[in-house]
Amino acid sequence: MANRSMFLRILWKLLGASRGRLTVALIALTSGAAVCSALLNVNLDAERKLTQEFRTLGANVVIAPPAAGSDAALADAAVLDRIAALHAARVVATAPYLYVAANSGSQPVILAGTWFDQVSRMNSWWKLDGDWISSRDDRAHCLVGVTAARQLGLAPGGLVELRSGGHNISLTVAGIVTTGGAEDNQILTSLDAAQALAGLAGRVSLVQLSVSGTPAEIESVTRVLADALPGLDVRPVRQIAAAEGTILGRIRGLLFWTIALILVLSMLGVLASMAALAMERRRDVGLMKALGGTVPRIMRLFLAEAGALGAAGGVLGFLFGVILARWMGERIFGVVISARLEVLPITVALTMGVALAGSFPLRLLGRVRPAEILRGE
Amino acid sequence: MAPLVQVEQIEKRFGDVRALDRVSFEVEAGEWIAIMGPSGSGKTSLINILGGLDHPTAGRISVDGLEIANLGERELTRYRADKIGFVFQQFHLVPYLTALENVMLAQYFHSITDEKDAAEALRRVGLGDRLDHVPAALSGGEQQRVAIARALINQPKLILADEPTGNLDEANEAVVLNLFHELHDAGHTILVVTHSQAIGNLADRRIELEHGRVARIVTTSLAKE
Repeated sequence: MANRSMFLRILWKLLGASRGRLTVALIALTSGAAVCSALLNVNLDAERKLTQEFRTLGANVVIAPPAAGSDAALADAAVLDRIAALHAARVVATAPYLYVAANSGSQPVILAGTWFDQVSRMNSWWKLDGDWISSRDDRAHCLVGVTAARQLGLAPGGLVELRSGGHNISLTVAGIVTTGGAEDNQILTSLDAAQALAGLAGRVSLVQLSVSGTPAEIESVTRVLADALPGLDVRPVRQIAAAEGTILGRIRGLLFWTIALILVLSMLGVLASMAALAMERRRDVGLMKALGGTVPRIMRLFLAEAGALGAAGGVLGFLFGVILARWMGERIFGVVISARLEVLPITVALTMGVALAGSFPLRLLGRVRPAEILRGE
Repeated sequence: MAPLVQVEQIEKRFGDVRALDRVSFEVEAGEWIAIMGPSGSGKTSLINILGGLDHPTAGRISVDGLEIANLGERELTRYRADKIGFVFQQFHLVPYLTALENVMLAQYFHSITDEKDAAEALRRVGLGDRLDHVPAALSGGEQQRVAIARALINQPKLILADEPTGNLDEANEAVVLNLFHELHDAGHTILVVTHSQAIGNLADRRIELEHGRVARIVTTSLAKE
């Protein structure tokens, strides 16, 4: 107990003895730790936020009957209730579609019935000229794809008469939509309206889902849905999942290598300070050895000093890193990055490791020969 | 009873230079020995070997029954902690530790620290009111007294002093020599390396080295006669 107290007493004095050099080392450690902490915070938080962002970039899971393209390939709309009953937290939006071949005058056109409130959540990039349809039950309005509008001569506020089989429907054009996809050639209306025109009440062609998470998490949700919906194909949209995975992987790789580089640079900074410190400490070590101090016992003091420095640098760096992460999140990713406490032990451990690695010159003090040091004075 | 220190035919070579050449002598417990000689005569090499800071190239040394000539680093470190008290010309105190902590440092490397004992050791050398002073706040004489307190704290068998008054003015030299007298009277065995004839005359015997050899061993009472 008395010796532990003496150990701490000497350690405290060591920390105060070479304040200049230790401050330089602390600045190097804190700077490195701050960048690491910021990048780790960004990595953890941005990944979560980016996967949320990705979910506004279109559906990434499609549920459809096995043989699409025929009447038999229509699914019962009750599938929507079964999806909802799963309470899958990662399912951000669920948009059913019923595609109906219709005619506007003499021109054929595809009418897609859907839930607009869900479509808007997963297709944020769609450009709209006019008004969006906010109600799921709106049977009076439609959106017209930009190409179809050109072909049919339609504009917002105009009226379009559609005929399919023996049914007719009249819809007011709420807006012209540009999607860059198949919807540009379609007319979109509520699911109810499309089902009424086609005489297919309670039927859907397919269901698009937007599922948040990493590719592995999306795969897992897909398996759960497939198990819960026998007789239907549940397929992830591979290109989107792969692209998201690639982006996340690249961001993670970039952060990992940046952290590694920063840690090496910090270590070099510490190394320079510690090399100078080791020269200052040669006489003390020679004396301690002359007094009967064993090399491990003396080195424990210096390594504890480096460890304490690393711990202090880690904690300070974590705090600065949180501020830096917020700034980076807002400026680079456009999101608010919140502090993640799990980053603290990682940052402190990394910084202590860097401090101990950078204190290599102090370990060389173990080779000091007391006779030479004490004679040299 | 066997002598506390037995040195037999020790040699120390640095390349072609022979710092010590077949040096032999004995020291009885409680003796005060002055090791004298001109610069380069081998005094420091001898005290370093006796203190376990260096190995002889050849020969045999026994201190308190322990053969030290061929001990490994670990055993020599233990030997220094257990049996030797060093007093250096340059004091060699740790600058960022207080006088008390400098004394406790020797306790720390020896066994267990005891702040009361360390403070008492400093009081015995007249530094009871300087416990919390760092070396820079102490005079040369005071620093050397701290070093003496540190040398004594673990009750060493042998006190080795290398020019202990070499950096002191006359007044402080007298204080330090007085302390050595007291240590001698208390039964401590002391080996002092010195250039000073006056200090040499205070010892029981003088071992005079020349060119690494023992030129003569003088019992000072006889010399005075």
